[in-house]
Amino acid sequence: MNRVNSLSDDPNWTSLPKDIVLDLFTRLNYNDRASLSSTCSTWRSHGSSSFLWSSLDIRAYEFNPSIAASLAPRCANLEKLKFRGVETADALIHLKAKNLVELSGDFCWMITDATLSMIAARHEALEVLQLGRSELITSDAIRVLAICCPKLRKLHLSRLRDVASAAIESLAEHCTQLSDLAFIDCMDIDVEALGKVSSLRYLSVAGTTIINWNVAIESWKKLPKLTGLDVSGTSIYNIDISKLLESSKSLEVVCALHCPFVSYDRVKGKALLTRFPNIFDELSSIFDEKPKDIFSYWRSLIGKDKSIDEKMHWIEWSISLTLQRRAELEGMDDFWMDHGAKLLLILLKSSQEDVQERAVKALADIIVIDDEDPRIDLARVDLVLRGGGIRLLLDLANSSREVLQSEATKTIPNLAANAEAAKAIAEEGWINVLIRLAKSTTRLVAVEAIGALWSLSEREECKTAIAQAGGVKALVELIFRWKITSHGIMERAAGALANLAADDKCSADVSRVGGVGALVKLVRDSEYEGVQEQAARGLANMAAHGECNKNNTIVGQVHDALEALVKLTKSIHEEVKREAAGALWHLSFHENNRESIVTLGGIEALVTLAKSYATASTGLQERVAGAIWGLSVSEANSIAIGDEGGIPPLVALAKSEVVNVHETAAGALWNLSFYLGNALEIVELGGVPTLIQLCSCSPSRMARFISALALAYIFDGRVEEMVGARTTSANVYECFFLAAKARIHEAGHIRCSGPEIGRFVTMLRIDCPTLKSCAAFALFQFTVPKARHARHHASLMQNAEEAIALKSVAADTKNPPEAQFFAKFVLRNLVYHAAKL
Amino acid sequence: MIVLKSSDGETFEIEEAVALQSQTIAHMVEDDCVENGIPLANVTGEILAKIIEYCKKHVEGGGGSEEELKIWDKEFIENIDQSTLFNLILAANYLNIKTLLDLTCQRVADMIS
Repeated sequence: MNRVNSLSDDPNWTSLPKDIVLDLFTRLNYNDRASLSSTCSTWRSHGSSSFLWSSLDIRAYEFNPSIAASLAPRCANLEKLKFRGVETADALIHLKAKNLVELSGDFCWMITDATLSMIAARHEALEVLQLGRSELITSDAIRVLAICCPKLRKLHLSRLRDVASAAIESLAEHCTQLSDLAFIDCMDIDVEALGKVSSLRYLSVAGTTIINWNVAIESWKKLPKLTGLDVSGTSIYNIDISKLLESSKSLEVVCALHCPFVSYDRVKGKALLTRFPNIFDELSSIFDEKPKDIFSYWRSLIGKDKSIDEKMHWIEWSISLTLQRRAELEGMDDFWMDHGAKLLLILLKSSQEDVQERAVKALADIIVIDDEDPRIDLARVDLVLRGGGIRLLLDLANSSREVLQSEATKTIPNLAANAEAAKAIAEEGWINVLIRLAKSTTRLVAVEAIGALWSLSEREECKTAIAQAGGVKALVELIFRWKITSHGIMERAAGALANLAADDKCSADVSRVGGVGALVKLVRDSEYEGVQEQAARGLANMAAHGECNKNNTIVGQVHDALEALVKLTKSIHEEVKREAAGALWHLSFHENNRESIVTLGGIEALVTLAKSYATASTGLQERVAGAIWGLSVSEANSIAIGDEGGIPPLVALAKSEVVNVHETAAGALWNLSFYLGNALEIVELGGVPTLIQLCSCSPSRMARFISALALAYIFDGRVEEMVGARTTSANVYECFFLAAKARIHEAGHIRCSGPEIGRFVTMLRIDCPTLKSCAAFALFQFTVPKARHARHHASLMQNAEEAIALKSVAADTKNPPEAQFFAKFVLRNLVYHAAKL
Repeated sequence: MIVLKSSDGETFEIEEAVALQSQTIAHMVEDDCVENGIPLANVTGEILAKIIEYCKKHVEGGGGSEEELKIWDKEFIENIDQSTLFNLILAANYLNIKTLLDLTCQRVADMIS
């Protein structure tokens, strides 16, 4: 709204000529038109122009009697209306659109006879009525329709149980202009009565189950004007079709697709469409020339021959209907691979919006294997890709028709499962379009666009593209614009942001445009678990990427962020708990955050979570152990964790076969084991054999390294006195060097605090060769120049005492050679870092 | 070559092919009233210059591939202020240059939504 106001400042936009203003209005969706109309009286009057109100498609919008009543003043001359669902149908009469000529609706399965009768009674001028899936309609309502709407030209109904003779005769009697009639997927139709509707030119009984073909043929051959007949998906036989084609002079085209008892047959002068690719040859008989590409040829000629156009439009419509229905069924693999996919792509370019819609929906259906199995059929996606489908779908997304935009966009997440298709999607320019559609004020469109961005943002190559096109800013703005209860939108937007935050560069963008605040808002205020999960994951990724500490500070500073995350660890939903624990883990690397988390009851919450490890997923186990590891850095926390009962679950998790889990559990135990009480508990619980097992057998070098360090702490001389296990000490020594040779790459990621480094230095002085070697080796890992936090560690060892301790270890020949060797290297590393500092 | 005269007295000499993108001008050429140049009383020199810039780029077969043109259009339309945009719409309407009118109106629609 603000932008529109500023438009009225300078220059004087209200002085634009009317036809330009109307052009502007047509480029906007209904929400925006309403906004524009409310800016000033000039535009209000333009906005009410009958030009803008002659045709409405309200399928993407909410509709009820009061909305209808408010629109009624402008709908006096409404001619065409597309609607969706029974609530809207019930409210239609309040529009008072007495001059309505065309009415079509989808998702009509709850519409009753009463509703249809009422609509018929109030719209006497109706010429076209199409209702999709109108299952509850009976012959009674059709009779009322016939009486009330004598001007009816086109009537399409589907899924009716039965259509009785009284109904059809009523149509024949009252609707003398009825030329296009379709009863699709019905159970039982009185076919004899159909023969009495002498005005019929096009008839479809596709998918209808109970038909007495002998009677049908006898009756229909008398229809003087019947030009096109669709019997696709029925039990008709060849002989019936030939009889009809021979006896009806007017009949030119018969569609008999997917009829189990029909085989291809050449009938002179007529087009019999039975199977692909024959239908292309058959269709060419309609034209004087014999073009190769029927549809493009015809489309280049549109407008020149009305009767051909009428036939082709009807044929397009019939084929699209059949294809859409078949797409919902499983199987038929050859068909789609050989011809079907290609045909759908051709239909995408149709000039009839409903044909395009059906083609897109069919495409969406065929690329998914089936309802039970959400996997994508990559071969079919490939076909779509090579047929130029990505570009065709993009054209639809760029159209101003919201239902088409939303259907086309819906296909993207599934298409993107095929790597080549994903690449094409990015290259064709989908990302810019998706970002634009994501900003739409129409929920139907926005939700699919954001969903597509979520899906694309999982791919590395798309992340940067999305960020560069302004996607991050758009997503953050969305989160603040829509109501918190718009769960679908929030979940997808948070999911996309979370994926983007997992990239170092993009996470900087997220941070810069206030993404952290947006995610925290969701974590704090949303009540829907899907949203909580994605937002928590977003915060976890922000904390783990980019400049680690910078992001951590930012997140920690956002009011209520940490409190909300701690609260989420108590959710009943596994995924939410998992992501919240993950976020707390990464955030705990920063000291201020640690303090806050602890104050907010984080230790109790996480230990409680850890205690339920038996029913938790491995992802959750890993993260909760990681979070405890993060918090256990300080003495107070370590002791508190032990007191809360954190050690037993950790020891149990250290036994896990899953590497990530036992690695993080070992990490937590490492920190905790420094404190005597914890160390004793670990020993008592049988943690030592577990740690030794990890030390020698874990596939992860980091796990082996950490568990060795943990053992080193446990056996630093104090515990042994109590437990008296000298031999175990020797095991530790062996395990330690089984665990590591030279440099452990993963250890470079560990960031130690001052006290932790201090412990190792202390260990250098303890009169135990094992410990000296362990300590020297550990310090070496932490200070080697390539380690991520080497400089930080070096800066913690700049005092004289550390140097003295190291030198003494290096110099003393009574020490094991490894101890001397690594101590010397640490000294060298310190000098190296000092020069850099 | 065709000469166009803006409302504030500036003259622009441009190739016929460029000028014919305006239906209004095309009709005038057909009706053969372009002897002393075409006066455009409703269009200032500044705006006319912009329009000529657009038409030169969009001359049939000269501007570049479809993709390149799209990028150029985007640059063109995003780098003008509201006042210029407004006047371009009026001028494109008067001169009947459909593609430019389309571009400018879409720009306004995008700004509103």
